[in-house]
Amino acid sequence: MDYFLYLTQMCGIFIILAVGLNLINGMCGQFSLGHAGFWAIGAYTSAAFTVFVAPPLPGFIVLFFGCIIGFITAGIAGLIIGVPCLRLKGDYLAIATLGFGEIIRIVIMNMNSVGGPRGFTGIPQLSNLFWVYLWVVITIVVIANIVRGTHGRAIISIREDEIAAESMGINTFRYKTLAFCVGAGFAGVAGALFSHTTQFISPTNFTFMWSVIILLMIILGGMGSITGAIVGAIILTILPELLRFFGETVSQWRMVIYSIILILLMMIRPTGLFGKHEFNPLKFLKLGGKS
Amino acid sequence: MNPIMETQAITMRFGGLVAVNEFSMKIGANDLIGLIGPNGAGKTTIFNMITGHYLPSDGKILFNGESISGKEPAVITQGGIARTFQNIRLFKDLSVLDNIRIAGHSRLKYGLASSIFRTKAFHEEENKLRAEALELLKIMKLEHRVDSLAKNLPYGEQRRLEIARALATHPKLLLLDEPAAGMNPNETKELTGLIRWVRDHFKIAVLLIEHDMKLVMEVCESIYVVDHGELIAHGGPKDIQNNPKVIEAYLGTTEV
Amino acid sequence: MDSNISYFFWDLLNYLINGLTQGSIYALVALGYTMVFGIIKLINFAHGEFFMIGAFIGYYCILSGMPFALAMPVAMIGSGIVAVIIERIVYRPIRHAGRIPALITALGISLFFQYAGQMIIGADPKAFPASIENKTYQFGEVYLSTSQILIVTSSIVLMLFLYWLVNFTKMGKAMRATSYNMKAAELMGIDTNKIISFTFFVGAAFAGAAGVLVGLHYGTVDPMMGMIPGLKAFVAAVLGGIGIIPGAVLGGLVLGVAENLVVGFWMATYRDAIAFTILIIILLFKPAGLLGVNRREKV
Repeated sequence: MDYFLYLTQMCGIFIILAVGLNLINGMCGQFSLGHAGFWAIGAYTSAAFTVFVAPPLPGFIVLFFGCIIGFITAGIAGLIIGVPCLRLKGDYLAIATLGFGEIIRIVIMNMNSVGGPRGFTGIPQLSNLFWVYLWVVITIVVIANIVRGTHGRAIISIREDEIAAESMGINTFRYKTLAFCVGAGFAGVAGALFSHTTQFISPTNFTFMWSVIILLMIILGGMGSITGAIVGAIILTILPELLRFFGETVSQWRMVIYSIILILLMMIRPTGLFGKHEFNPLKFLKLGGKS
Repeated sequence: MNPIMETQAITMRFGGLVAVNEFSMKIGANDLIGLIGPNGAGKTTIFNMITGHYLPSDGKILFNGESISGKEPAVITQGGIARTFQNIRLFKDLSVLDNIRIAGHSRLKYGLASSIFRTKAFHEEENKLRAEALELLKIMKLEHRVDSLAKNLPYGEQRRLEIARALATHPKLLLLDEPAAGMNPNETKELTGLIRWVRDHFKIAVLLIEHDMKLVMEVCESIYVVDHGELIAHGGPKDIQNNPKVIEAYLGTTEV
Repeated sequence: MDSNISYFFWDLLNYLINGLTQGSIYALVALGYTMVFGIIKLINFAHGEFFMIGAFIGYYCILSGMPFALAMPVAMIGSGIVAVIIERIVYRPIRHAGRIPALITALGISLFFQYAGQMIIGADPKAFPASIENKTYQFGEVYLSTSQILIVTSSIVLMLFLYWLVNFTKMGKAMRATSYNMKAAELMGIDTNKIISFTFFVGAAFAGAAGVLVGLHYGTVDPMMGMIPGLKAFVAAVLGGIGIIPGAVLGGLVLGVAENLVVGFWMATYRDAIAFTILIIILLFKPAGLLGVNRREKV
C-alpha cells in the first residue's frame, strides 16, 4: 500500500481510539490505562470473523460486520471489566485497568487458534481510506452528540465532582459504566479497521506501551476535549514519521522523547493544547453557536 | 399533620466513636427548621445520613412515610431531598447554566439514542430544560451569569447558585449546610430573605444548619440543638435562646 | 511414609523456600511504595525503576572490581540519590497538581528510565558476574543456595533497620508525623520537604538492594527488569495495606509464596496472572488491604 495512504488510515484509526479514550478519561474523569486491550479485542474478533466465519459477501459488507462485531465484543468486555473496576478511584482504577489490559493480551497470546505469540496472518485488506474515515466521522458525531446532551452532562459532572453529581440525582456508577463501554466499543471498531489495514496483528501491537501512547494523545490534546483528542492523535501518529527525517537514531529514541513530553506537559501545561474546550468554528468566527 | 421527613433515633458510629446518638426529629411539609450546635456536634453527619452518604448504624429515616435509610444518594435526591454543601461543591469548570441543567438530568425522559440521533424528543426536552433553567436563574437573580463559569462567580453568588442548583432537582425538602458561611452582614441579610422566600415560593420544607445565630433566630420556626451527637434542646427561637443547656453547650460553664 | 506424600512434603518445603526468597524481594521493593504513599499519598509508578537502577549500579561496580559486600551498599546509596534527584526536580513541583497529574508524571518517569536505559545500555540482558561463591546446601530433599540465604538475611537485616529507624529515632518520628498530617507536622517545626526526600531515599535504597540481590541470584540484568517486579511489589503493598509498613512485608511474603505454590503445583505460565488476580480481588473486596482500615471520604 502507498505509504502516505497507510499513514492517513492509521491517523484515522488513532483518532477513533483517542476520542473513545477521551470519553472515559477526559470527559468522565475515570483513569483507564487498559485501552489497548479493547483495541486488541476488536482487532482479533473481527479478524477471526473475516478469516474463519464470513460468508462470501462483498468486502465492504464483511468489514462492516467486522466493525460491528468489534464494537459489541469490546463493549461487552468494557462492561465485564468496568463493573468491578469502576468502583475504584484514581490510582487504583488505573492499576486495575492496566492489569486487565495485560490479562487480555496474555490470554490472546495463549490462544493458538488466532496465532498466539506468532500473530494472526492472512487478514484480507478490506479497509480503505473511505471506510476508516466514515467510522471516524461516526465516532466523532456519536460521541459529540452524547456529550452535548444530558447523558454527556451527567458524565462530565462525575469528573467535576462525583459527590455533588450523586447529590444531584445522577447515578454515577451507571454513567461511568456507560462512558467506559462506549469508549471501549469504539476502540473495538478501531481494532477491526486496524486488522484489516495491516493484514497482520500480534499481541505486541497491543501492549501497555500502546495504551500509554493513546493516553499521551489525549493528554497532549487536552483531556476533556474531542478536538484535542483528534489533534493529539494526528500529531502523535505523524510525529514518529517526522522523527525519521532526523535519522534512524532519533527515531529510535521515540519512546524516550514521548516520556519527556509527558513529564513536561504535566509540569508546564497539564491541560494540554485544548484543555476542556472544543474548537467550535461558529464561535471562533463570532457567528454565535449555542452552548 | 404528617411529617414529610422523620428521623427515628438515628445513630452513627465510626469505629469506636459515636458521632450521633439516637437523634429524632420531625419536619412538616412546609416547615423551616434549624439545626444548630457547636462545631463537631454531628450536624453535618445528620445531614449525610439523611441524604444517603452515610448509612445509619441504628434507627430509621422516613420520607413521605417510606424508609430511606440505606438508599443511594442519587435515589434519595430523585425522591425529593436536595442539599447544599458546607464547602461549596459547584461544578467549577462548567457554566452556571450547565450546573442548573445537570440538576434536571433525572427528570429528563429522552434516551441515549435520542441524543445520538437528535430526535424531536431530544430537542423538545432540551428546550424545555433550558427554559426552566433560565427561569430559575432569573428568579434567583443569576440570569446575568448564565454563561459564566461557576468558579468565576463572586462568593455570594456561588452560594446562591448552589441553592438554585439544589432547587433545580425539584425537591420537597431542602437541606442547607451552613449557607451563610463566609458571608458579610449584608449578604447574610439577603440570604435570610431568600431562604424564607424559597420556602414560600416553592412550597417546600427547609432544614438549615447554621452558625450565624441572627439568621437562625430570624428565619427558623423551630430549632433542634445538638451537642456531642445528642439532642439537647428543641423549640422555638425564644425558648432556645434562653435555654441554659444550649447556652452551656456554646459557652461552657464557669464550673471547674 | 508413602513416597508420594514425602515428595509432596519436600516439594512443598522447596516451594516455600523459593516463595520466601521471592517474597523477601517483593517485600523490599514494596516497602518503598508503601513508605512514599504513606507520606505523600503518591503511588510512585516509577519505583520499579529504582530496583533496576540499583541492579545496574551493582553490576557496573562489580565489573570494575568492587567486592559484592561493597557494591551492594554503593548500589543502595546510588539508587537513593537518583530517587532524591527525581523527587526534587519532578515530583515536588507537581505535588499540588492533583492525583492524576502525579500519576501521569510518575508513569512518564518510569517510561523514561526504561527506554533511555534500553537506548543507552542496550536492551539485551547482561550477565551479572558471580561475585559470591554460590554453594547449594542440601537438607534431605530441600535445596538452599547461598544467594537465597543472602537474600533472606539481607532482607531481615534491612527490615529490622527500618523498624528501628521508624520507631526509635527522631527521624522516624518525624516521618510518622508527616504521614499522619503534613500540615500539623510543618507547624511543629518539621522540615517536611527534607522528610519526604529522605523517605524517597530509603525506599529507593531498599529497592536498589533488592535489584542487586536479584541480579546476583538470577544472573542477569536488563533495563526492563524493573517493570514486572515493580508492578508485583505494588500489588504486594496494596495486599498488605498501602501506607502500612508491616503490610508491605506481609504482602510481599504472601505474594511470593502464593506465586511459587501456584507455579510449583499448577502451571508456570500462570505466574504473572497471580499478582494481577490478587490485585483485583483485594481491590474489590478489601481495598484497604489485609492490615488496613477502611477510610471514608469526608462529605
